Amino acid sequence: MLLLDSEGIPDWILFFGHFHPMLVHLPIGMLLMGMILYVFSKKEEVSRQKSIAPILWSTGITALISCTMGWCLSLAGEYDTDTLFLHQWLGISLALSSLALAYMAQFWSLDSFMSRFFKPGLTLAFILVMWTGHLGGNLTHGSDYLSTYLPQPWRAWLGMAPREQKNEQTKEQPIKIKNLQEALIYQDLIQPTLKQKCWSCHNAEKQKGKLRMDSPEYMLKGGANGVIFVAGKPEESDLIKRILLDPSHEDHMPPKGKVNLTEDEITLLQWWVKEGAHFNKKISEIPFDARIKTILTKYTQENKSTENYISPILKEQIAAANEADIEKLRKHHVLVIALSAEKPFLEVNAINAKNIGDKELQDLDGIKEQLVSLKLGGTKITDSFLQQISTYPRLIHLQIDHTRITQQGLSYLSSLQHVETLNLVGTNLTDESVVAIAKLKGLRKVYLWQTKISEKGIKFLHEKLPKLIIDQGWKGKWPLDTLNIPIKKPE
Amino acid sequence: MNKIIQEAIQREAQLATRRHFLSSLGTGLGSLALGSFLTNCSSDSGASFASPLAAKSSPKLGKAKSVIFLHMAGAPSQLELFDYKPSLAKFDGKECPQELLAGKKFAFIRGVPNLLGPKAHFEQRGQAGHWISDYLPHLASQADRVSFLKGMHTDQFNHAPAQLLMHTGSARLGRPSMGSWVSYGLGTENQNLPGFVVLASGGKNPDAGKSAWGSGFLPSIYQGVQCRSEGEPILFIQNPAGVNSDIRKASIETINQINQETYQEFGDPETVARIAQYEMAYKMQSSVPEVMDINKEPAYIHEMYGTEPGKESFANNCLLARKLVEQGVRFVQLFDWGWDTHGTGLDGSVDYGLHQKCRQVDKAATALLLDLEQRGLLDETLVVWGGEFGRTPMQENREGKKLAYFGRDHHTEAFTMWLAGGGIKPGVSYGETDDLGYSTISGKTSVYDLQATILQCLGFNHEEFTYPFQGRNFRLTDVFGKVIDPILA
Repeated sequence: MLLLDSEGIPDWILFFGHFHPMLVHLPIGMLLMGMILYVFSKKEEVSRQKSIAPILWSTGITALISCTMGWCLSLAGEYDTDTLFLHQWLGISLALSSLALAYMAQFWSLDSFMSRFFKPGLTLAFILVMWTGHLGGNLTHGSDYLSTYLPQPWRAWLGMAPREQKNEQTKEQPIKIKNLQEALIYQDLIQPTLKQKCWSCHNAEKQKGKLRMDSPEYMLKGGANGVIFVAGKPEESDLIKRILLDPSHEDHMPPKGKVNLTEDEITLLQWWVKEGAHFNKKISEIPFDARIKTILTKYTQENKSTENYISPILKEQIAAANEADIEKLRKHHVLVIALSAEKPFLEVNAINAKNIGDKELQDLDGIKEQLVSLKLGGTKITDSFLQQISTYPRLIHLQIDHTRITQQGLSYLSSLQHVETLNLVGTNLTDESVVAIAKLKGLRKVYLWQTKISEKGIKFLHEKLPKLIIDQGWKGKWPLDTLNIPIKKPE
Repeated sequence: MNKIIQEAIQREAQLATRRHFLSSLGTGLGSLALGSFLTNCSSDSGASFASPLAAKSSPKLGKAKSVIFLHMAGAPSQLELFDYKPSLAKFDGKECPQELLAGKKFAFIRGVPNLLGPKAHFEQRGQAGHWISDYLPHLASQADRVSFLKGMHTDQFNHAPAQLLMHTGSARLGRPSMGSWVSYGLGTENQNLPGFVVLASGGKNPDAGKSAWGSGFLPSIYQGVQCRSEGEPILFIQNPAGVNSDIRKASIETINQINQETYQEFGDPETVARIAQYEMAYKMQSSVPEVMDINKEPAYIHEMYGTEPGKESFANNCLLARKLVEQGVRFVQLFDWGWDTHGTGLDGSVDYGLHQKCRQVDKAATALLLDLEQRGLLDETLVVWGGEFGRTPMQENREGKKLAYFGRDHHTEAFTMWLAGGGIKPGVSYGETDDLGYSTISGKTSVYDLQATILQCLGFNHEEFTYPFQGRNFRLTDVFGKVIDPILA
């Protein structure tokens, strides 16, 4: 990746450059070691200085090597220039002052005048090493690296914004457009995507490939490889080409480990470049086809509630059921199984025990906290069983088709506000039971095929629960009988 | 390292066979008798002994619990069914551009073929506006229930390897099929039925043969059980004359006792599989004839599917698939042969034969969706429809000669499949082909991607769902596959 960002710079320079972050710790460690020895030594000043002279020489030499390699690394041009400037010169000063200190320790320790400067010099070197090191850290990890997880009271003392708020800003939020007529193509559609997917490496502080993308001016300016897009020509635009490359390709953007752009985002970006890459136009001023329109409507609409829906119950953290309680149920040949291996939510399925009835199922009480799905189609349960489960706190899926339950039983269920699917196929329920069904406010889908509920009852349900999906089954006739139309034989 | 050692022990155990058993019979007999006092292997104590088919939880929350894979063996023409290409109609009869042919290999096309415009009439259907041709009028009425993958591609242009790739993740023999993986991972809910059932129609098994539902290196209990929709569902499932159910039970129990001893001696997992198979076979003697009998279905169901009891047909198999899934079978694999429309005969023409084939499956497949839905099963059942590859936008010119009928050759670069039900977002069309329908220009999805997506719907991460074999962890998608998120609910 890096080679590509820094075209024109020989590989070997960058090869050595990459040793800088590692090698730089040698002079740091040596200098600190020298200081420790110096401070804790009980010897005379002269021999104290003399004894650390070899350490200071090594410090100076390794610091010089580190500086050279740091310079190699800086050629890649991925770093904030201001910080880099300071880091570079502080580093060089440190190397030189280490050498000076070494010289002082070795040759001037007997000179009572010159040796007076040794202690302040050493202190200065200490300050330099701390400062340079900190700036180096900022260059690699970002200037907020140290303070990101700073606990709250300290943040307030330092006058920093609380972290939660900061998180909120950086968190990926789905892009929403309130008014499609008024929305601006760049600010409202393109920039939010770039912000989420590109800015982390192409911003004021970090410019991978010498590219900044955080403002239109920088977008137009391009990076180390020249301009990043040609208005009207997505196929000639590096921005588009790199996004479209295979994710395993080394030129692909965003690079490995970063979140890729979605299909929709890519399509919009291509469209934006193709239509002239305007920074100030409104979306409505730019021609779009059906495909773009579909994507745009996705951005304007609230996400449909059916998409990617998972019951909030399943996000809870709960304790696992007692194995003995599960075993009790298994004795009745019912299948008790966790919905997934991740969490202890249970499903009970009577597929192998169609003769099971209310009495045996009393054992369900033991796992009522974990029970989310109950499949008892075709069993011998009655209304009193429904009364039993009416206190189960987490039932989501209730399948009681082909049973003898009545509206009396259904009315017990009104406390089950988390039930989302209810299968009543093949029961004798009539229109009188729809009131009980309508009380299940969390219900998303109900199956009423082969019940005695009439169109009137369905209408009532539609009115009470407008979002409820009601399945009434196949109407008993195909709209067309094509099989009677002969197929024309070719000549 | 442990896994390799464990596997080595298993391998060695598999080498120990009947010869071993006989040689150790002298000393083994005493322990055998003892063993029968200590252990009890009646057919319903499966759980106490290792029971490889017990229902298991998926690693993650999965929306689908079972899969019905409708495989149109021979490969249907996407250009007559779903991938509407008006430009192809415009260039009908023109020579195929050279740049599309350079460096490409086809099964039968030689030289420069002519382009062949779509032979069916297309319309946009449902709110989703999917293009579906009038070859599939019933399915067209349910366009908003299904999601299309229009940018499928494969790397095999012959039937058998392409079918193997589709079902086992490898074009060569020896890998477990998708259904085997699924029943290995999830077991089966109904303890009287196998977890993986295969039904074939169209008068012929698929070219890939039984390997398309084989268990590969997984224990053989996970292989697909092929049932016939005509005559006895499974051959020799009934007791022979003079053997009643009690005798059969007693003999199976005895055999299993011996097998269990063998297992304790050698530790070969195949012995467990064999025990489970005996038990399953015994239980299936009563459960299978019942579930495979469509005579008892009410008349409106026959009307709905267009079924005719006693005949081998795709419609009957669709109805059976529904019944099996209703009874807790994990994976039902339907093969329907006869979609290989090269244009060498009337039945293999895209304007007549294909239309006829569509009539055989259109109503039944649509009825399957509707029937699953009205029973509340579609939410937990993933239905997949498609072939092993696609068909060329060019008319086939076998041996460089013009054929008597309109046909298309095998095509790997673009074909369409549809999915519906558990875990699938309805009404999505993902992937696009170029103006001639030759290759995919966006939303390109591979066979591995499809497999990864199916596993995802069932609650598996295809990269983590592995089985150690020969010192390596194998997975269905090998080293490929990316879940197709845009079609997932």
